[in-house]
Amino acid sequence: MIVFSLFVSTVFAVLTRDDPKEQIVFGARLFGGFIGAGILIGWLLYPLPL
Amino acid sequence: MRAAAADRTQTSSLTYLLCAVAWFVPGGGHLWLGRRQKGIVFLVALTLMFVFGLWLEGRLFPFDMTQPLVALSAIADLGVGGPYFIARLMGAGRGDVVAITYEYGNTFIIAAGLLNMLVVLDVFDIAKGRK
Repeated sequence: MIVFSLFVSTVFAVLTRDDPKEQIVFGARLFGGFIGAGILIGWLLYPLPL
Repeated sequence: MRAAAADRTQTSSLTYLLCAVAWFVPGGGHLWLGRRQKGIVFLVALTLMFVFGLWLEGRLFPFDMTQPLVALSAIADLGVGGPYFIARLMGAGRGDVVAITYEYGNTFIIAAGLLNMLVVLDVFDIAKGRK
């Protein structure tokens, strides 16, 4: 999940921003969002039986 | 960084040639337009993502129109361009359905193809002078 998030956030950041500084900031926020959402959804699904 | 070549509006036939190059070589369109930083990042990230998917036992799906989801996955796989054909020629991407990483591999391969399609659209916009 971390590797996937890293790749996707890198590509999205470079694709949508032109300034290198903005790319880094946006990429970091996107990466954090991916990881945070992954952990949050993981915990929400935790009580559900398989 | 914007190069002067990238700021010109391209002719229609050149635009489609650029899109074809951008599809076949991830980041190739941006490199052609003088946007080296973006081109190199796309080339490295998308190629690595695709290779990572193959390494995780992902599958290059066949164009089986009787199974719509398999056909859609095949179209997404094809989106990555050149690396797809190289992998096919090398006999990679058979996929090991019992491998624990099989679905992860598929996700990487499909996402790499879809992201490259977005990169192609970006090249189209740049070539048309919209960006």
